[in-house]
Order: sequence, then structure tokens, then C-alpha cells
Amino acid sequence: MSRLALSLRINGETHEVLTAPHRTLLDVLRDDLGLTGTKENCLEAECGVCTVLLDGRAVNACILLAAQCAGREVVTIEGLARGAELHPLQRAFVEHGAVQCGYCIPGMLLAAKAYLDEDGAPTEDGIREALAGNLCRCTGYQKIADAVLAAAAALRGSRAGGGGCTHP
Amino acid sequence: MSPRVVGHSLPRMDAPGKVTGTAVYASDFALPGMLHGKLLRSREPHARLVRIDAARARALPGVRAVLTAADVPDVRYGGALKDETVLARDRVRYVGQPVAAVAATTREAAEAALAAIEVVYEPLPAVLDLEAALAPGAPLIHEAWATYAAIPILHREGNVCHRARIVVGDVERGFAEADRIFEHRFRTAMVHQGYTEPRAAVASWDSSGQVTVWSNTQLPFEIQNTLAEILELAPSKIRVIVPGIGGGFGGKLRIGVEHVAALLARRTGRPVRVLTTSEEELTAAYPRQGTRVELRTGVTRAGRITAKEGRIWFDTGAFAGSGPGVASVATLVLAGPYKIPNLLLEGYAVYTNKTNCGSFRAPSGPQANFAVESQMDMIADALGLDPLEFRLQNIVREGDEGPTGQVLAGVGLEECLRRAAAAIGWDDRRPAPGRGKGLACGWWTTTGGSSGVYVKINPDGTVALNTGAAEIGTAALTGAAQVLAEELGVDLADISVVSADTFATPFDFGAQGSRTAFAVGNACRAAVADLRRQLVGLAAAQLGVPADALELRDKAVVGAGTRVTLAELARLSQASGGGLIAHGTFIAPPTAYDAKRVEAHVYPAFHSPSFHAHAVDLSVDRETGEITLHRYVVAQDVGFAVNPAAIEGQIEGGVAQGLGQALSEELVYAEGRVLNPNLTDYKMPTALDLPRIESILVQHPSAVGPYGAKGVGEPPNIEPPAAVANAVAAAVGVRVTTLPITAEKVALALSGEGA
Amino acid sequence: MSFEYHEPAAVAEAVALGARFGEAGRFLAGGTDLIIQMRRGKVAPRHVLSLHRVPGLDRIEANGAITLGALVTHRAVERCADFQGPLGALVEGARVVGGHQIRNVATVGGNVVNASPAADVVPVLLTLDATVTCLGPDGERTLPLEGFLTGPGQTARRPGELLTAIRFERLPPASATAFLKAGRRRAMEISVVCVAARLTLDPARERCLAARITLGAVAPTTMRARAAERALEGRPLTDDVLREAGRLAAGECRPISDVRASARYRRLLVETLVPRALRRCRERIGGGA
Repeated sequence: MSRLALSLRINGETHEVLTAPHRTLLDVLRDDLGLTGTKENCLEAECGVCTVLLDGRAVNACILLAAQCAGREVVTIEGLARGAELHPLQRAFVEHGAVQCGYCIPGMLLAAKAYLDEDGAPTEDGIREALAGNLCRCTGYQKIADAVLAAAAALRGSRAGGGGCTHP
Repeated sequence: MSPRVVGHSLPRMDAPGKVTGTAVYASDFALPGMLHGKLLRSREPHARLVRIDAARARALPGVRAVLTAADVPDVRYGGALKDETVLARDRVRYVGQPVAAVAATTREAAEAALAAIEVVYEPLPAVLDLEAALAPGAPLIHEAWATYAAIPILHREGNVCHRARIVVGDVERGFAEADRIFEHRFRTAMVHQGYTEPRAAVASWDSSGQVTVWSNTQLPFEIQNTLAEILELAPSKIRVIVPGIGGGFGGKLRIGVEHVAALLARRTGRPVRVLTTSEEELTAAYPRQGTRVELRTGVTRAGRITAKEGRIWFDTGAFAGSGPGVASVATLVLAGPYKIPNLLLEGYAVYTNKTNCGSFRAPSGPQANFAVESQMDMIADALGLDPLEFRLQNIVREGDEGPTGQVLAGVGLEECLRRAAAAIGWDDRRPAPGRGKGLACGWWTTTGGSSGVYVKINPDGTVALNTGAAEIGTAALTGAAQVLAEELGVDLADISVVSADTFATPFDFGAQGSRTAFAVGNACRAAVADLRRQLVGLAAAQLGVPADALELRDKAVVGAGTRVTLAELARLSQASGGGLIAHGTFIAPPTAYDAKRVEAHVYPAFHSPSFHAHAVDLSVDRETGEITLHRYVVAQDVGFAVNPAAIEGQIEGGVAQGLGQALSEELVYAEGRVLNPNLTDYKMPTALDLPRIESILVQHPSAVGPYGAKGVGEPPNIEPPAAVANAVAAAVGVRVTTLPITAEKVALALSGEGA
Repeated sequence: MSFEYHEPAAVAEAVALGARFGEAGRFLAGGTDLIIQMRRGKVAPRHVLSLHRVPGLDRIEANGAITLGALVTHRAVERCADFQGPLGALVEGARVVGGHQIRNVATVGGNVVNASPAADVVPVLLTLDATVTCLGPDGERTLPLEGFLTGPGQTARRPGELLTAIRFERLPPASATAFLKAGRRRAMEISVVCVAARLTLDPARERCLAARITLGAVAPTTMRARAAERALEGRPLTDDVLREAGRLAAGECRPISDVRASARYRRLLVETLVPRALRRCRERIGGGA
């Protein structure tokens, strides 16, 4: 079996990976690069725990071949915070009790980020629709929706104010 | 009292790790040189295992071990009944039962090895459902059941692996006193806990013959014991560590893959990880039993219940799993939180050739409560009574007896019912055509079992809480830490937690039965009592002041015009006294009950019981049967809300999980095979399927729980099916008596074709 | 899963690779069907030809007729400004496929080639009398979508042929489309039944001039309910007429019972959803010019 030499951009860093063609982005992230923040479960794009951002869009890493991601920008949960400074979404999830077992949370945060980056006027219905591909068994989604709305307000405030941090 | 820490909705302690992806779960855990383990599973529901030939598999590249029953100790393990084996020996009893285990250098190599193992089955007549299992002359799933070790109290015969019973008064006399007698039957489906992290274990043996297993089990000490039986080793040679759990809900109580990982690691001399797939979870895990329920209830025409006779049969699958315990608990749920002078209630756990079932958040709760609370509404309807008034007339109140004679204290049920009903707008039960409101209520336990903690004060004044309990997502350990902080006079931010390591942490009965915050919190209180003595004694000696002049306040010991901080005392103790550390333990006092009322009962009383009422407002599309939930209200008596936001989270999530079981989830079997073993067709609710859930926290304190707290995690799962069934009946006059209540069932009933 | 991986950089190269490998090769677009089928062992191509570097196949062209490049994602369809209004069924159909993660990568071409009888956008395309264009080593051919779908998971695509585009004409005046889906939950759902409808009314907006009714998940392929369509032509859209169309459609379909629903319920849903879809078309057409 041949191996592919892939240059993958993960959280702004380039990783040179040599891997069999069938390996998914999820396999490479977790097993090769030790980035276990992206989780594995159904491996069939049904549950969303493996959600990452690919060129800014939310995708399921479990059904993406690593090869398909060469030369594209991948953002995982490890890339959401800026060093020790949490993204407003992460802060809001902590403050609003949106985290219970936490296993769905990395995927949920990235799906939420993709939604907020796209939608200038987030609503609870819009949030639920955007997160419909992320199953959570612990929270019933309510405090997650509350947290995303709060983060949206915080992001609007920081953008409007011009000061504070900006997040991509 | 105005508590500083408890009673506040403080953010949970482990949230930062979880939102940054740095929290490590068992499925993330890896060791260098680790092999991948997988299981070959039976394709037959019931068959003789004639031959297994692993020679070709063993020869494949990358394959380091293939185990069959011949390669593992011939041990039967289990809970109340030890009927399970790691690998099938000469018989398979369900599709999915493990028959061989492989370890290989990659997942693909392991899968190739599975495909290369040749198995010859000789099919036997399969017992596919409760009726077949209970029929006279039915094939026995376990012919040798009498030889299996079991707790002495079990009542077994044929394919019934346990029957528990409650008898109070004389039901026939009670029925004679009734003006009307109602008989109804119900059925509920097998449903899966749906945790988003598969079961996982990594096992590694050291040179002294000790094994460490990293696993996402809810009960590390239980797994340690089970592994000891299976590996034929002393428990002290086995260390179980829980790095983190992605949800459990009871499905990770029983041993999952830890034994397989340990056996493969022992054989190969390398660490081995085993991870279940989604398909394995939905075919061969420990789901909630499907049931059949029969209820016969007598009432006066004014609406007083005079007698209830009830039976519930649990299809517990090929091995007993949690069946016996669940069958016992069910009888208390069948009684309901009602004053009924005459009761005959039975719970049966029955073997079939399906996956063995276990415990799922309030085991027996949703099934039995669905039946009881549906019937309550049907009776109210027939008598022309308001369902709320009918319940209020019969519910237990402070000081009343429970069904097994326990005296009930801290009974917040009336308040829960009234507040839930008011919140949903009960006086307008049918606000529009096709729209209706439904109520359901119930009660539940706070499971006992002992917990120990170590509490250490660090030289910088922070506090280390060392507990054997695993955090499964409920924030129970944050709640326990809040209790600790309150007692010790520190802040929650001063506390860090080490947990769930059978070698390094004290014993804990486990994260089950809504007991963790309750028991660990109380163990912390015991530890603080000891620490307080140590701190004050040390300060007294240091300051030359009598101990009784000193008290603990604001992270210091103060009194008689002196002050010394906890940090200083800790440093002092480290330098000369070995450090400040206390051991605290807790076990709830047993709940007194009348032993004459129970037979073969594993769980005869509900401890520090909680009470709850749910109300839902929904609409039904008369043509498609589709149900739209408008509002959902929960009023739950939590005793004392240690962390209100965390409790709301438990309620919101528990109701969501309960609504899934009410409306869309079922593991569908045909000929002993699961037809929907994937998340495409096992339908858990998404964010678009659920309404906002309104939580009303009612507080009638427990005399036992920390600050009066009761267990809160399981109850929200209990009432949703009945609440929905009652609302659907109010909305469109259709009574669905089987779960899940699908649009199809409602539509076909409305179109006159029946469901 | 074990295969050789190829990444053609142009349509011609993709077609050449397709021709070279034939049945042993499969084109990979979003992967939301193919990768899952490979993982479940249902299909095992020795060569996977990823299309994500091939330019020019991901455009929606809306000059006269409308052309969807095969690699247009469901997300792009959902958000296309040209499809708000009378062509709204395209948005409605695209929007209910999976969740955002699926729609961000899943392509309409991939969806058509996968030919699930329960596909959501396919019924809408059928009501629009769409055609599909395939490119092979012998050149390009265009065929009606209806003839292209030959069975569950089967199409008239020849081994190695690349689906490049889907095309349909703009709607005549006084026309609109609508799409409805029934399932057990509101997202991440494979249709229990779906219905797409297209209506063209007379200038007075009283009578039906032409109708298309397409049903999903009730036959081996997405199917047109022609008896129901004929019953509408030339008639005013009264409740009785709409109900009759629903009954006829329910009679024409051939649903099976499976773990998702019984055949009986599927017929009931067809009978209910067809009139609803037609009513929505009529509302969309409105009263004005």
C-alpha cells in the first residue's frame, strides 16, 4: 500500500505527515499528531463529536480523508483559545453551565464558532439549527444555546468597542 | 444561614479543561507501543459454538494475539447473578456476544484478523421475546442457572432470573371496596444510554504481575473486583484509573471492555486498547430493558385508590445484568408516590436471546412510571376528575408511609405538582384544537453505599480533595467540593480534585443512583470535622492558646486576639508533623422499612427520596401524527440545591434524554437481530427536537444529605414518557400505551387504523 | 478501507482516470455517502478519485436556464439568492439534509449519483424536469434525471463516467415549487417520506395548467406521481381536488415497511403531504402578476 506525503495546516501550523490514503483527518489528528481534543464516536458523520473547521466551515473529520485536507486550513479545538486566553465562546460555555461530561463540547464549540462567523444576527432558533449536527446527551442543548447567544453578544461588544481582543 | 459557596451556581471545576480539549477521556488515553484490541461477536441469537479456528487469523501480519474461551479463565461474573463469561465457551446466547478477542498493531490489522477467524455455529431455537421466554416448556437460556453463584435473596425459575414482590394489606379486599376497577397494559422498548464516548479501556501489565487499566467506567472499584474474579488475581494486584468519562448514564457501570484489554495485554506483554464502535454499543452493550406492564387499580367513585395489583416484566436479555435489581426497584415505582392501602406488585427479570441489559438513569423508572402515570390519567378521565386533583387526593405527604412501610420525610410532592401545574397553565388544558397539556409525577431514591475521601491542606493554603468517585458529567464532584469549601471556610477556587484511582484514592461505591454529591459531600464534612480538630489543635499548641478559644474563619484559625492562616499551619505540619490531611467517610443510615411487606427484594426502600412533577404542553398534527412540544416544566424536590445551575443542567439533559425515550428512540429487534444499530436510525433528539425546559427547584430537605440535599441526577428521566402520553391524550384523544410514542402510532390511531 | 488515492487537477484528467479505472474506481466528492459506505464494507473501490481540486464544477449558473455544477454543495444551494421565491423547494430540500457539517461538503452531484430512494434534493430536481450531464472518454451526454435513476443506489452512469452538471429551465410565470419532508426527528434525518411539488397556474390563477408531484422514500427510486398530476391538470385547486391528488399519489406509490416506518404510514403521509405541498405552491404563486 502506498503512503501519501501530506502537508497539513492545523491551527496555523504546518505538519508533514506520511500516511496511508484511507486514513481520515480524524485518524491523523488523534493518532499521529496527538491532538485528542477532537473526539471519536460514530465515525459516520451522525454525531458531530469530530467536528473541526475546514477553511472556516464546520465539517466532520471522521469522513474526510486526510488527503483531502492538504493545503487547506484546519482549526481544531486546540486552536480556539489564544494561548491562555479563552475564546468568548469557551468563556461563555464555562459561565453558563453548558458543559457536563464535555465529550461533545469541542465539536459543539467549533460548530458554534462557524455559525457565529457566518451569521451576523444569531437567534436561539438559528443556533439550534446550526448545532443540529452535534448530538449532546447530557445538556438538552439549552445552556449551550444560552452560552452561544451570550458569546455572540460579547463578540459584538468587543467588535463594536474596537478594544479588547478580536478573534477570527 | 447565608451560605458562601453551597447554594450558588458556580461554574464547574473541570469546565476549562473540557472547553479547551485538554481534558483527557479514557478513549484519548494511549501508551507507547499500544496494540489495538477488537472483539469477534456472535452472529447467531442462540447457537452451539461448534468450532472456532483462529489459525489463519493468528498468522496475519500485525496480529499479536487471538483469544478464545479456551485461552481465558473459565469464570462466570456478574452483579447479583454471576452468569456472564468474557468469551462464549460452547454456546452463544445473543447476536453480538463476544466469541474471540484479537490484538494487533493497527485497527485495520485487528479487523482483518476478525474476518479471518472461522466460527461454526449450530443454531438452536431462539427465545426472542418475553412471551416466548415465559411460555410453558420454553427453551431455557441458561439450563445450568441453578449452579450459578447468586445473591441468596434471588428468586429464580425457568427463564425468570429474579422475581421481587411487594405485598401490603389484601388487594382482593381492596378491589371489593372499589367502585370501579381499571386494567391496562403497556409496553416499552429497549433503549440505549446514548453516551457520546464509546466504552474504552487501556490495560498494561508491569513486571510484578500487576495490571493497570485506564477506563471510562463509572465504578472503578467494582471493575477492580470483577477483574480480580476474571483474572483470578487478588484485587490489590489490579489498579483501575478513570481519566475521564464522556457520559455514562448507567451504561458504564458494568464491566465493558476492561477485561478484554487486560487479557489481551497479559497475553501479548504489550499495552492494549479496546474501544467499542457505535454498532457494538447498539447491539452488545447494557441498554435499558424493554418491558411489559400490567396494572389493575381499584378506586372509589370519588377518586380514592383502594388497591393496586401490578406486574412488570423486564426483558433483560441473555444475561441477568442489572435485571434483578431493576426488577426490585420497579415495584416501588409501580406503587408510585401514593397512599394505597392494598398492594400486590411484582417485578420480573426475564432472560431472552437478546443483548443483556443493564442500568440506565433511573432503572425501571421511565417504564413503570409510564404505566402508572398513564393509568392515573385514564382513571381520572373515566371518573370525570381533573388528573391533578385525582393525584392530589392520593399522593403521600410528610410523615406518610411508603409502600414498604418506610416513613417519608422531606416530602415535597404536593408543592411540585401544584407549581408544575401552575407553570404550564393547567386551568387551560386544551388551549387549541389538537393541543393539550399533560402531567406526570413520581418519586425516586438516593442510592446508598459508602464513600471515603482524603482532604489535604497544601502549604499554600489550597485544598486537595482526593475521592474514589468518578465525575461522569453531573458536576457531582464540583458539588462535593462546594460542600467542602463551605465547611472549611475556603473558596471553591482553592480546591483541586483527584479522583477515581483504586490504588491512590479511597473507596467509593461509585457514580450511580444519584448518590455522588450526596455521599462524597458528606464524607467531606466528616473530613473537615477531623481537619478542624487538627487545625485548632496545632494552632493552640503553636500560639499557646486554649483550643476552645479558637475557631476556623476566613481561611485561618482565629481567637483570643491571634490569627494563623491555614497555609501557615499546613507548612508547619509539613515541617514537623507529616502534613495536614484527614480521612472522611460516609454511609447513609439504613432506611427502616417493614420486611414483612417484601419478598426477594433487593431494594426495599427509597433513601432520602426525591419527588417530582413534570408538565408538558404540546400539539399533535392530526394528519401526520407529528408532535410539537411547546413547553416543558419540571418541578423537582432536590432537598437543597447545592449548585442550582448544575441541577438545572441535570434536569434539562435528563428531560431531553427522557423525551427521546418517549418519542423517538427504540432498538428494534427482528429474529434476534437489531435492525437499527447505528445513529442514523437510533434516533436521539437533536437541538431542533427539544423545547426549552423550565426547572422549578423545590426544596424539602433530607435529614441525611449535605445541607439537606437529595440525589438529583436520575429523576428527570422518569416522567417524560407519561407526561407526553397524557398530553397527547388531552390533545387529540388518542391514548398510546407503548413506547416510543411515534407520529406513526398517533396518526394510525387517529385515522382509525389502530396502532 | 484500502485504496490508491488520486487527485485530478482538471476535468479532463478526472475523466481520463475514470476511464482508466472503470468499475474499480469511484469519484469522491464530499464523501458523506462514499466514505461511510466504504467503512461499512458496502463498496470497496481500489481507486479513489478525489474531485476537490477539479475547478469549474462548483458553480451555480443562473442565466436563462439554471445549471448546478456537480460539486455544488447543499450549503450553496440552500443559500443561493436565485432560489428564494418560486424555486424555494430547492432551498427547502437542501436545508433538511443532515446538519451543517454534512451540507458544507455534500454535493448535489454526489447526491444524485448515490441515488438513494429517500434523497431530498432529487425529488425537487425531478419536478423541475432536470437533466444531468455526464462526461466520459467518448464525450458528453445529457439525459433526463428521471431516466438516470434506475434503481435503489443505481444510475445510468457508465463506469468511470463523471457527472458534471445538473440543469433545469426556469419556471414559467405563475409557477412555484414546494418541498415537504416527514421524519422521526427534525434534523439529521433520512426521509420517511418526502414530497416535492411544482405548480403552474393559468394567468387568472384559478386553474392548474401543469403540475409535477414527486415522491421520495416510497418506491425503489424517487418517483413521479403521474396519476395525481393528471388529476390536477386543468382543474381548479379546490380542497376536494387537492385531496384527490393526495389519494391518487398514495395509491401510486409503492412503499415498503422498514425500521423507519410502515408502508401504511408512508401512504398516509403521501396522502397528507401532497395536498400540503400543492397548497404551499399556490401560496407562493400568490395573487399578483
